[in-house]
Amino acid sequence: MSSPAMQKTTLAVGQPMVQVEDLVVRFPIRSGGRRAWITPVDHVNFTIGRGEVLALVGESGSGKTTIGKALMRIVEPSAGKIVVGGKDVSHIKGRSLADYREDAQMIFQDPFGSLNAVKTVEQHLYFPLKKHRQLRGDDLYIKAGELLELVGLTPVRETRIKFPNELSGGQRQRVAIARALAVDPKFLVADEPISMLDVSIRAGVLKLMNQLKDDFKLSYLYITHDLASARYFGDRIMVMYGGQIMETADSRELIRRPTHPYTKLLLAATPGNPIREKLPETSNLAPNLLEGRTGCVFASRCPLVTDRCREEMPKLTVLETGHSAACHYAS
Amino acid sequence: MSSRIPVLELEDVSVAYDTHNGPVQAVNRVNLKVYPEEIVGLVGESGSGKSTLAYAIMRLLKGAAFLQNGTIKVMGKDIYAMSPKELQAFRWAQMSMVFQSAMSALNPVMTVEQQFIDTLRSHNKQMTLEQCRMRAAELMDLVRIDPKYLGSYPHQLSGGMRQRVVIAIAIALEPAFVIMDEPTTALDVVVQRSILDQIQAIQRKVHFAVLFISHDFSLVAELAQRVAIMYAGRMVEVADSRALTQTENHHPYTEGLLRAIPRLTADEIVIEGIPGHPPNLVSLPSGCAFHPRCPYVTDECRQQRPSLYEVGTAEIECHRYAGQKVVQHV
Repeated sequence: MSSPAMQKTTLAVGQPMVQVEDLVVRFPIRSGGRRAWITPVDHVNFTIGRGEVLALVGESGSGKTTIGKALMRIVEPSAGKIVVGGKDVSHIKGRSLADYREDAQMIFQDPFGSLNAVKTVEQHLYFPLKKHRQLRGDDLYIKAGELLELVGLTPVRETRIKFPNELSGGQRQRVAIARALAVDPKFLVADEPISMLDVSIRAGVLKLMNQLKDDFKLSYLYITHDLASARYFGDRIMVMYGGQIMETADSRELIRRPTHPYTKLLLAATPGNPIREKLPETSNLAPNLLEGRTGCVFASRCPLVTDRCREEMPKLTVLETGHSAACHYAS
Repeated sequence: MSSRIPVLELEDVSVAYDTHNGPVQAVNRVNLKVYPEEIVGLVGESGSGKSTLAYAIMRLLKGAAFLQNGTIKVMGKDIYAMSPKELQAFRWAQMSMVFQSAMSALNPVMTVEQQFIDTLRSHNKQMTLEQCRMRAAELMDLVRIDPKYLGSYPHQLSGGMRQRVVIAIAIALEPAFVIMDEPTTALDVVVQRSILDQIQAIQRKVHFAVLFISHDFSLVAELAQRVAIMYAGRMVEVADSRALTQTENHHPYTEGLLRAIPRLTADEIVIEGIPGHPPNLVSLPSGCAFHPRCPYVTDECRQQRPSLYEVGTAEIECHRYAGQKVVQHV
């Protein structure tokens, strides 16, 4: 992509693209008539390097989408810091928030809901190109065509005047990707981008995102519940449960040598895993998200649980193997 | 295997939807047999006709959809030759279905127990309330939910528990044949795995046959003994699930699907998408419907629909296997 029009963030050498420190997001709920708080994101730390894909894996309710939304600043962090491209974006508002959208974009799960049914494909691209890159006339027309070409929506002349209902799910998701790329972002949050697509076109969209990463040195937070695609697309995998990080490691390492009991459980449950054994869990309770909980969030389901786990929350620590795991008994 | 009487027998089944421009075929001359105590997977993308076929088997087609051709027999009985009364008694007692969305399959304003009682009583009026309650508790045990939840309303249960309740209701009358239409698609992997393990365990205990519909290839290959693959309304391949560990000797569509799935444990992951997208049923490609996306396409594919050939243990509808024995279903 050509050079951006506005002042874009510059990154010092060696500085990560995304730096999240002690991030907390909490929501009020009503519990027994009184106000209480739940913490879907509970003191989370991680970084994403330039051109790196961090795959965030977990079940529904683990807080993975909330992290994505916090990084996009669709929700505001309750505590902690989010630094993207060297800029603290934790509490920005108004103009600076609008500018931030040029650095970070999001691809949503549902390509049927994320496009406007009464706008053509090219109109979807014109809006960000006009607003953020001040393109007009021929420039606008040409740039939109380039973007469609880039995401493989050819023949461009025919596709650009189509409406979303004339496109397949995979094509719609490609439009969403083209729209995200229109502002020349540095960082993309992709929230389950392929889970609603037909199996035969998922691979194409995954490969496209991979290609774009290489071509433009894009950083991604790839949110998914599917370990196999996380392993394919992610450089590193971060496993979440109940709002906390359970384990982080290089993708291949994590699949080959999982250390945290929850990672092991997820792996055992994933279809296509050649090792078939009884699921290593003791119950299927949902995690307690209430603020002020004690002990390990996974304790109620963990086969290795001891009294220590119920009282003391394990810290995420780096192990000899290079994994980071939050477990008293991780090995 | 052919010596046994199949629980499900599809002969030349076509299902169509009436439209302004005439009928559109969603299921096109499909043949399939499911034998007692067998789990058969039915895989296809959205729009391939798999759910339409399931509704046709249950004789639940509504609105513009109708059985255009062929016969559907369950336990040797022609479903479409039954009177409404016979059908009412037959359905759920002999064949039942687990629907995709557990929340909409359950009645939100009735307790779980009431829904069990409803099902049991409508087929056996002699059953006392006490007997119904005992049976309901027994069924809850079978799907590993504490019977104390019988008094709960569906919204008080987790997604996994609801789907277990739906499964328990489906097998309440001990049918010989159960259709499961994407029963775990909306659930987390761990819950999905535990439900699948349970389906297998229950199936070994109370013996019924399952037609398991899914779009998840690796899941079906693990669960089922045989897998049927649908594309654009046609059953393009029926294969032993063991054969699906290899990417060769399949229908090109099956091969494409197998290459499109990232493998969890392989050392080097290379995935290859299938070019193009699934066809619109209103304007199906000529000849073999897969030909615009097929890497092996020839002129013959564009002009003529292929016959069904026997390839190893599989039956495949593709010109590439011309030379092999032709399968005659009817």
